[in-house]
Amino acid sequence: MRPEIKEYNYDWLMGKTLSTAARIPAGTKKETELTYRYIPYFKGAAESFINAGQPGIRFLELLGKYYENLLTARDDGKIIAGTTFCSTPTILYAMDILPVTFEILTAIGCLVWKRGMFDYMDYCCEVGMPETSCSSQRGYLGALLAGLSEDVEFILCDTPGVCDTNANAFAFAAGYLDKPFYQLNYPSVIGDDRSQKYHVDDYREMVRFIEKQSGRKLDYGRLAEVLKEVDAQDAITADIEDMLMMVPTPIPPVFNLILYASRFCFAGHPEYTELLHVMRDSARQRIRDGIPGLSAGEEKLRIFLCYIDHYTVDMNFYDYLEERGIAHTGSILTRNFRDGNKYVEDMPSNAYAIDISSPEAMLDTVAQMNARLPMVRSIRGPYDRPGMWLEESLACARLYQADCIIYNGTPGCRNTWGMVKPFARDMEKHGFPTHIMYDDAFDDRVESWETTKERLDEFFHIRGLL
Amino acid sequence: MQVFHDAATRVQCPSIMDWKAAGKPVVGYTCSYTPAEVFHAADILPVRLRGIETEGTEIGDTYFGPFICTFPKCILQLAGKGRFNFLDGAIITPGCDGMRRLDECWRKAGEDYEGIVPDYFYYFDVPHKAEAHGMDWFIDELKLLIKSIEDHFGVEITADKLRSAITEFNKGRRLLKELEDLRAAGIVVVSGADAFAATVAGTVMPREEYTAELRKFVSGIKRRKTSLSEGKARLMVVGSVSDEIDLFELIENTGKAIVVAENLCFGIRYEGNEIPEDGDPVAALASHYMGTSVCPRMFGKYKERLGLLKERIARSKVDGVIMQNIRFCDLHGAENGLFERDLEAVGIPCLRVEREYGPHIDAGRMKLRLNAFLERMTAVGDRPRHRDVAEAVSEPV
Amino acid sequence: MSIVAGCDVGSLTSKAVILKNGRIIGSAILKSKPRPRDSADAAMAGALENAGLLQKEIVYCIGTGYGREKIGFIDEAVSEISCHGKGARWLLPTARTVIDIGGQDCKAMKIDPDGNIERFTTNDKCASGTGRFLEVMARVLGVSMDELGKLTAKATAPITLASTCTVWAQADIIKYLNSGVPIEDIGAGINAAMAARVAILVNSVKPEGDIFMTGGVAKNIGVVSTLEKLIGRRIKKARRADPQIAGAIGAALLSWEKVNGHKKAS
Repeated sequence: MRPEIKEYNYDWLMGKTLSTAARIPAGTKKETELTYRYIPYFKGAAESFINAGQPGIRFLELLGKYYENLLTARDDGKIIAGTTFCSTPTILYAMDILPVTFEILTAIGCLVWKRGMFDYMDYCCEVGMPETSCSSQRGYLGALLAGLSEDVEFILCDTPGVCDTNANAFAFAAGYLDKPFYQLNYPSVIGDDRSQKYHVDDYREMVRFIEKQSGRKLDYGRLAEVLKEVDAQDAITADIEDMLMMVPTPIPPVFNLILYASRFCFAGHPEYTELLHVMRDSARQRIRDGIPGLSAGEEKLRIFLCYIDHYTVDMNFYDYLEERGIAHTGSILTRNFRDGNKYVEDMPSNAYAIDISSPEAMLDTVAQMNARLPMVRSIRGPYDRPGMWLEESLACARLYQADCIIYNGTPGCRNTWGMVKPFARDMEKHGFPTHIMYDDAFDDRVESWETTKERLDEFFHIRGLL
Repeated sequence: MQVFHDAATRVQCPSIMDWKAAGKPVVGYTCSYTPAEVFHAADILPVRLRGIETEGTEIGDTYFGPFICTFPKCILQLAGKGRFNFLDGAIITPGCDGMRRLDECWRKAGEDYEGIVPDYFYYFDVPHKAEAHGMDWFIDELKLLIKSIEDHFGVEITADKLRSAITEFNKGRRLLKELEDLRAAGIVVVSGADAFAATVAGTVMPREEYTAELRKFVSGIKRRKTSLSEGKARLMVVGSVSDEIDLFELIENTGKAIVVAENLCFGIRYEGNEIPEDGDPVAALASHYMGTSVCPRMFGKYKERLGLLKERIARSKVDGVIMQNIRFCDLHGAENGLFERDLEAVGIPCLRVEREYGPHIDAGRMKLRLNAFLERMTAVGDRPRHRDVAEAVSEPV
Repeated sequence: MSIVAGCDVGSLTSKAVILKNGRIIGSAILKSKPRPRDSADAAMAGALENAGLLQKEIVYCIGTGYGREKIGFIDEAVSEISCHGKGARWLLPTARTVIDIGGQDCKAMKIDPDGNIERFTTNDKCASGTGRFLEVMARVLGVSMDELGKLTAKATAPITLASTCTVWAQADIIKYLNSGVPIEDIGAGINAAMAARVAILVNSVKPEGDIFMTGGVAKNIGVVSTLEKLIGRRIKKARRADPQIAGAIGAALLSWEKVNGHKKAS
């Protein structure tokens, strides 16, 4: 790692950058334009969020506030836990523990910094991780291992058997830093009584672990409050999901990122509820004004990303979609699989409900909700089994009227690269042109954004889509 | 010994072919967490699926993407070429992401290549933890597996039959333990390659035949006088799955080293531990096969595994450890990084090397690193005395 | 006084060194031929001619490099890692950490005061951390290896190169060239991509003391200067001889130790 990187705490760097970015639109239009001239390296990212209107600005504020909490956690006597995006932070908020979600914090660095998270990713390799490990954890993990971020008290993950390379990153962190570690473990099927019970048994053990590490008991009253907030959030999300189904959709591409990144970090927080309100209002206004979510005004194509988005610098991916007039109807990260959503009608086993009537009901709720997060929900078993990746992707592609499917991931993603070719072939058989991207969503050194863009254009052109 | 060598180096070895010729079923399995006793109790030959003898990986590459380790690709390659057509069944286990995807890739390849998917194709859902509810789940899975075999093959697997199978397997386990003790001795009279071939053979041979051959093998070794370890570095091999006898031969053909221990998926590992022959056989099998955490797929048990390694190093008087991982095997690749840090810190020289499995194993590269490692070990004065090693590794984990 | 020799047969170049009284009296570097045996013979012939000697006057010769076992005239084969360690120490007596980037692989090692290896790590699963990568990229750019190295100093905005795969990196470069990106920026990007991969390796052995680079890539000032920035340490230069012959020097030194009955020092 270069010496100058070691001089700054990564959390502080990002936190300050994002909170400052959130203040840019507070000035006059002229002041805002002038400010952009002084931040040539961050202008791209800042502008993209600010041009998305209040949702983008609120998102920046939310992230800034998150970092402020993170940086003052120790002073406030709070505990910090390292965790993954497939594990809901609600239980941690209920216990007043701050979650540090590795993948989101990596993505932020990738979006904001010209050189991305390369230094941190490489640092992981310097201390023993193979370079083939997934980049999504390796970015933030590098900062953590190097002591350049806030330290964590313990580590949680829930991806063994679903995404081993993800679980491995957390296990490595625990081994390297000698931190207590708990893995939730998911069976390869979902919705049947046996696995439902296993979810709860395992989650109960995790709660015991967290109680032991934190020295505090889970307050079910507090959990009820948090889950009520999640319930409210799910209702607004359902509206946004419905709006994504409209043709043209009033939802801009970047709203997807804001929606799921916030859910992974802030589910259960009132600020997230507020952000969702603002997003929904913004979309509703577009409907009233008769304008689509795409800023150019015309929706030429609708894509469904069966896996994840691309987090290249300056929000280039989302800007590219805007430029080309491509509507982003969602990814595996967008859908929350709360019951009642249209897309769960044919896959009821994949949905969760919220019941706060008793501590057992609440534990069951949060265990089942956790088990329905991306990856752990539908990547846990063979892709062509009921409720798994193929069925889910087809349901979404049909309901959201996608014209084509895009697979984007990372070379570290063993669980999808292990079968994405047969999966793509099956999607094609069902009538969906499918494009497999060979880039790394978090690391432009694998395939430059320019090349990725070219290949996307080539796909759209050859298949007569654009 | 030749029997072991044949079994270890040929996919369709004589033992398997003889069994088939007698009209009895053969079921392949992918993971060391699958209790072979269950099949033995049903008079089915359990064979560990391997990827040796592949000449290319074009079939494997067609279904698996580029960023996948070569082990499952080689297995699929063999399946695609019809080399596993003798199987009456296959059990796929989520050993790791690459291996669990063998389930759909094999089935999908079966849509393109006729007849390559065995009639009985079962997904055995092994959890990644052995704590209470994980063990309960595993026991349930075992019972479901047993029922499934009974239904498909029209057999009955009673508790008594399972106990008999355990008893039979224990005979082999005791012999393997003796073999390990012989390899841990100050003077070693059996090469690592031969010992490994004997262990790998146990994953594909009918158990009674295997036990008999193993008995002959071990008693033969006990009569030997010629030291194979004199003046050589005593090495341990750990890391990604390996059933490759030629890897061991590569190491020992340098003339400067002997492999006295290993911690590999196909190796002896905890094979030397016997399973209780009385009581509930399913619980006993579950406790043995999943109870000891020797694989990084059981996440969060690094310290326990480090402790196990240190114990082995002390017991087998290991001078240096070779940590290999197949490219894209992140579980072993990352754990090797931690092992290297912690073992070097107590003075155990380690060689970390990334490699390929299968037709691309590049001997030249491996030899270079091996030689450099051996030169490094001898260059710095005398090799660590065995007593010093034992002291060094006996520090609390 | 014994005259000893060392021969290093690499994938891109083959080198031979003849030592007498600890001094180099003859050496040769030439492009490797397809067969290692021929490369070794040619290199040795070159060194002998340089020294004005005949083969039979060489008392002991150690061979190293990928082709070492194919060399006909050697007395012993030793790994290039050990040879580079010894050679590095001779070239820079204060060297403690050695980086060797050859045609086919990249190695980082820590050596003791006698040049014996204490630790080493290698990376070669991918061409993009090796001399081969630079060779391919230089060819695409239409510059010599030497010129490629000098581009870093002239660059203003080095590109980020897809460096995980040499094939895709080539495609990227062609695209940049076609879009009119200055050749300096492309060259600097290539050197930086290489340096980044090497930096990981170097940092993983926890560099101490004087850091020294051997192998052909040591002559690429662009890679060296970028690497220095990445690891935050200066990389010392060899003045006694060409760093590319470090392996052959080390092999010759080991020959001398053998002949003079020296055990490898502890």
